[in-house]
Amino acid sequence: MTDPQNTAAPAATVYHDQPSANPIKVETRSVSVRYGDTQALHDVSIRIPDRGVTAFIGPSGCGKSTFLRCINRMNDTIDSARVSGSVLIDGEEVNSRAVDPVVLRARVGMVFQKPNPFPKSIYDNVAYGPRIHGLATKREDLDAIVEASLRKAGLWAEVEGRLGMPGTALSGGQQQRLVIARAIAVNPEVILMDEPCSALDPIATARIEELIDELRENYCLIIVTHSMAQAARVSQMTAFFHLGHLVEYGPTEDMFTNPHDARTQDYITGRFG
Amino acid sequence: MQISLFTVLILMVLTAVGFLVGRRRAYAVSSGHASRLHSLPSYYGYYIALWTGVPAFILLAIYGMFGNDAVNALAGAQMHRAGEPVHAQFEQALSDDEDIARLEAELATLENRRIYAREAIERDSELVPAAGEYPAQSPAERQQALSSEINRLAAEREARAEVLAGQVEAQTDDALARAGFVYSRLSDERRELMINDARAIAFGEGVASRETPEINALASAMRPFHEVLRSSMALAALALAIGGLAYARSRISSSFRARNRVEGAISVLLLLASVIAIATTIGIVLSLLFESVRFFSAINWRIDEFLLGTQWSPQIAIREGQVGQTGAFGAVPLFAGTALITVIAMLVAVPVGLFAAIYLSEYASTGVRGWAKPVLEILAGIPTVVYGFFALLTVGPLLRDALLLLGYENAVTQSALAAGLVMGVMIIPFVSSLADDVINAVPQSLRDGAYAMGATKSETVRQVIFPAALPGIVGAVLLAVSRAVGETMIVVMAAGQGANLTANPLESVTTITVQIVMLLTGDQEFDSPKTLSAFALGLVLFVLTLILNVIALRVVQRYREKYD
Ligand SMILES: Nc1ncnc2c1ncn2[C@@H]1O[C@H](COP(=O)(O)OP(=O)(O)O)[C@@H](O)[C@H]1O
Ligand SMILES: [Mg+2]
Repeated sequence: MTDPQNTAAPAATVYHDQPSANPIKVETRSVSVRYGDTQALHDVSIRIPDRGVTAFIGPSGCGKSTFLRCINRMNDTIDSARVSGSVLIDGEEVNSRAVDPVVLRARVGMVFQKPNPFPKSIYDNVAYGPRIHGLATKREDLDAIVEASLRKAGLWAEVEGRLGMPGTALSGGQQQRLVIARAIAVNPEVILMDEPCSALDPIATARIEELIDELRENYCLIIVTHSMAQAARVSQMTAFFHLGHLVEYGPTEDMFTNPHDARTQDYITGRFG
Repeated sequence: MQISLFTVLILMVLTAVGFLVGRRRAYAVSSGHASRLHSLPSYYGYYIALWTGVPAFILLAIYGMFGNDAVNALAGAQMHRAGEPVHAQFEQALSDDEDIARLEAELATLENRRIYAREAIERDSELVPAAGEYPAQSPAERQQALSSEINRLAAEREARAEVLAGQVEAQTDDALARAGFVYSRLSDERRELMINDARAIAFGEGVASRETPEINALASAMRPFHEVLRSSMALAALALAIGGLAYARSRISSSFRARNRVEGAISVLLLLASVIAIATTIGIVLSLLFESVRFFSAINWRIDEFLLGTQWSPQIAIREGQVGQTGAFGAVPLFAGTALITVIAMLVAVPVGLFAAIYLSEYASTGVRGWAKPVLEILAGIPTVVYGFFALLTVGPLLRDALLLLGYENAVTQSALAAGLVMGVMIIPFVSSLADDVINAVPQSLRDGAYAMGATKSETVRQVIFPAALPGIVGAVLLAVSRAVGETMIVVMAAGQGANLTANPLESVTTITVQIVMLLTGDQEFDSPKTLSAFALGLVLFVLTLILNVIALRVVQRYREKYD
């Protein structure tokens, strides 16, 4: 049996062959992150295809969220975080000075573990992004964006006619879909989701998973999950992280049926994690 | 000191011994298997220590509270008994004395006439002069004349009685008997003074205001009572301690629930502490209420005048014959002054405090925050009197000079503006630290949400954090208002005293708190409407700040619930 703690010097990442159906949307090269003196992420290099769902799996604390936050530069908001390496979206360096994180984040939406609607009405929650980025000048345009986003997030039927209600008054699952609508409203290219279902009940989870499946037609979705089953259900690509390293990356089916690395195998078969 | 330090020390040692005994006893009854005991061994120790210490210290506390009074009463009774024969002698001398008899007869006549005159005044009729006896006088003049004559005769009688008392005293050899006699003829205050002097001589409590053989005699009468009471109390306390120890020890067995007993004792202790706090509050509120009722009855229940009147000059009302003048107690200028200064203070404190809080919680790095927050809180530690003279000596004159330069000729040093500005500065840390708390209570997930949508820092603050924290911030501001309304020192020093009804911040105004200070400082009789009005003002202040605090706490609480 392998003891994961003792495989100290990690081998380089194992990459499965990628069926190159879709073009690469996000690529990272040797991304490392330190929080003060502790290194949370070591040299992560990955190529994530567009129009599909890529799942990040791995035990708690292995750096999945940290890596996800590199893609929209959310680590900038953490004082102690230092990011090195390069992150490319459509081949364009994200970490360069020329890129305004504020603009970047309009292109790369993010959904968090805990639903976090703003203490505003449903309408204002969805209209928030379009307003600050000036996407709509007329009220009708804004109305249209709000409606379209809520429809895409599968929430429209439930909230139609009550858009003035506070977003916080919705149920947990509805709040999470509201937050997804909010992210969609600025028409992002990439949507990052950090354990979007871990605070939800199974029914709400199923609803979100359906939604993710629909969204992959149009967006590059990257989703962190601690549920192997979820990764298997919704993703086309899977990346396995362990202790700050990207251990193995490849098509989901391949990863689950034929893991190359012993740690991946252990994790997938539930031997640790 | 009536309880000797020695007794207290012995009791403390006994208590400690009780603890050890309890623990050992617990080990003994468990025959070495402490795990068979119901409670940990030290709980048995605490249990015995409580029984040893608490009853004895309660006894000492009671003695401490009432010991002096008991000694005074005992010595006083002895003195009274000794003085009784002398007093009888004096009574005899009074009734034998011809001068006294004559004076009393005259006084009785005059008193009758005065009654007659008063009745005439009440009936509003003329006096019927008895056969050529008086020149024609109006009843009022007549009453006046009679009163002064009565006063003169009474003084004469008093002087004669004093002479007789002197003679009686001179015939008495026993100093304690003289003391009893002297004491019986004193007013209440002077009696208290005499007792205090005697205590000062007997026990060295302070300095005696004078020393006479009589006071010395009383002092010597006090000493034995004191000694006996003190040593018997010390012995009783020790006996109680040892008895308590023995009793508690006898109860210990391996199934005895010492832990629960100790728990009970602790809850009683905590209960006592909160009862004291609550009882004090209730006491203060009740005394405010009662004194205010006295005030309102002195102004004939013109509460509307008090709350709505615009004329505040309490001094007029103490002049004789004007008691109950209601026009002088219109408190509106005070309310207006309070409001004006509070508004100015809030105009300074709310924006600055709020922005400082936003900077500290959202913008500052942890390093800056680490030192800036404590520095800001030092501001809160500056005594208000320091702010007061800062306002009076620096800000006030500066403002006045600036205004004079600008051509405003009525500029004064003491103005609402000076006081309000400085009070605002004083309240900044209060606002900022409360606001900082509520801003920090806004969940990080909301910030993340806004940043992830591409909002800048200030957009996040304005559009997400501030609205989310608003109820809490409103609560903080209300608390700050109630603080400003109740603030005294700065306004006493810097706002002036004139009860002007003005909205001009450059004039001097007065506030509720300033007036309370003015009404109660210096020599005052404590039952004139003037001083009583202070209680009514205090009541208004209390109700005002209470309402503000209740609303503020409600708002803050509701806000907390939302995010917990
Ligand atoms: N803000 C932070 N400051 C310091 N250390 C952090 C911070 N966020 C995460 N870490 C550390 O970085 C490591 C990776 O965390 P994270 O990316 O949240 O893991 P995951 O999402 O896989 O559970 C953990 O060891 C965690 O303690
Ligand atoms: Mg995480």
